[in-house]
Amino acid sequence: MSTGRHDPANAARRLSVLVGVLSVPAFVGLWELVARSRIVNAVLFPPPSTVAVAVLDWINSGQFFGDLSASLFRVTAGFAIGASAGIMFGILTGQFRLISSLLSPLFHILRPIPPIAFVPIVILWFGLSEAGKLFLVVWGVFFTVWLATHIGVQKVDRGLIRAALMLGTPRRQMLSEIVFLGALPYIVVGLRTAVSISFYTLVAAELAGAFSGIVYRIEIAQQNMQTGQVMGGLAALGLLSFVADRSFAAISERAVWWR
Amino acid sequence: MMHNSLRPTQPLRLVDAPPSPSSATAQATIRVEDLSIVFDAARGTVIAVDRVSLDVMPGEFVSLVGPSGCGKSTLLNAMAGLERPFEGRVTVAGGPMLGPRPDVGMVFQQPHLFPWKSVRRNIAHGPRALGKSKAEALRMADDLIEMIGLTRFANAYPHTLSGGMQQRVAIARALANQPRVLLMDEPFGALDAQTRAVMQDNLLELRDRIHATIVFVTHDIDEAILLSDRVLIMSAGPGRILRGLSVGLPRPRSSAILTDPAYLALKRDCLDLIRTEGRKAFAQMEAVT
Repeated sequence: MSTGRHDPANAARRLSVLVGVLSVPAFVGLWELVARSRIVNAVLFPPPSTVAVAVLDWINSGQFFGDLSASLFRVTAGFAIGASAGIMFGILTGQFRLISSLLSPLFHILRPIPPIAFVPIVILWFGLSEAGKLFLVVWGVFFTVWLATHIGVQKVDRGLIRAALMLGTPRRQMLSEIVFLGALPYIVVGLRTAVSISFYTLVAAELAGAFSGIVYRIEIAQQNMQTGQVMGGLAALGLLSFVADRSFAAISERAVWWR
Repeated sequence: MMHNSLRPTQPLRLVDAPPSPSSATAQATIRVEDLSIVFDAARGTVIAVDRVSLDVMPGEFVSLVGPSGCGKSTLLNAMAGLERPFEGRVTVAGGPMLGPRPDVGMVFQQPHLFPWKSVRRNIAHGPRALGKSKAEALRMADDLIEMIGLTRFANAYPHTLSGGMQQRVAIARALANQPRVLLMDEPFGALDAQTRAVMQDNLLELRDRIHATIVFVTHDIDEAILLSDRVLIMSAGPGRILRGLSVGLPRPRSSAILTDPAYLALKRDCLDLIRTEGRKAFAQMEAVT
């Protein structure tokens, strides 16, 4: 039996940590080597150094922050509107059978249509305005949050509701406190899924035509064959949605504070 | 009432106490008249409660005892306004029960505490819902927390408490609205034997300090005799009251009497009654079908 630093399990763990730390740099290094070795076309497949230069140029030109704030606004505003509406309708359809009979069939027909499929009609309705982009993000977020809330409300412990009824809880408080907080663990899961959906729909919305935004910049760079800038844009988008997901995960752990 | 005429010096006997004593019904706190409750089930309708009448007098502690599925919880829910009568009616303090009312409190088998609220805020929920100021509601909550002996846990969340502590909070929460009637649906049924004995003693003490009329559902005959002034024995399918018995044990009581020979005699009578009445009801049912 081995002990101390000769412990094979310990050594295996250290090795896996080391490999984990080196993973991304090794990949970037390999990419740089392959791109510079002329095995591939460096115009279509630029080395990381070229991408880094393109990103610096983007930031220095002052366009980066304009693009970032345009995209961020669309995502956050669309998410906020879609999520609030989704929670509100989810509570109503989850709690009241008549409202559910009225709306649920409609929502279930519209929900499976990928939001991206609405791009053509959105362009007809809204042109290239901001309203159209918001509409797409709201549309994508709404159904996910609605369904999660609807299910969550139906799973609220009926005993809690009866207890609240016996204590004279007014109907308004019943919905805004007992039902909402009772369903919150489900709602939070729906909201987290909706974060990534809001980024998908952002991409569709900006590709359909915009005047600024990260995905818009990627498309312009593609048309000008600036592949470094394209990849820089992808990296920025990836980083942005990664940060959004992580921060939402952190928030959602605190949202259900009584656990 | 009959049990008042019994003195501890007399041999303890069970005395018949009909569900609706015809003499003193005028000022009954809870009045159930010809109540039937019917449920739609997969195979037709099920009669959960069948033409039950009973009166509960102000300040009285009445237990409903019976096998599971005998409709005792349904009957209690009807008194709570959570279940609508199919026939007949339920009145509390002269007013019909058309829905839950703040002067009728309820403790369920599960505590059903609001998991997002601390002990204090759970107890303050009722007074807040009825429009009391936050300060006043919390002050009432603190008084009740002291009464149930959980001062150290006032700011704890329910999931950090044991089952017995949670149920004490649930009782305090129901009492916070100072209900005229407290309905308890097997409140100690989910607790272990030791905790249950402590809770029964607590309830006996609590009962002397509050002035609520209590209806207590249980399938535990010991618990029913220990706590009650009157025990109503129910039969299953359809739910009917077979017999009402007055418990002449002196108060204050504690769970120590559970081993007292007088108490044991009482319990034997009671069990005999349940057995014979149960057999009779069973024979009747077989004769009908």
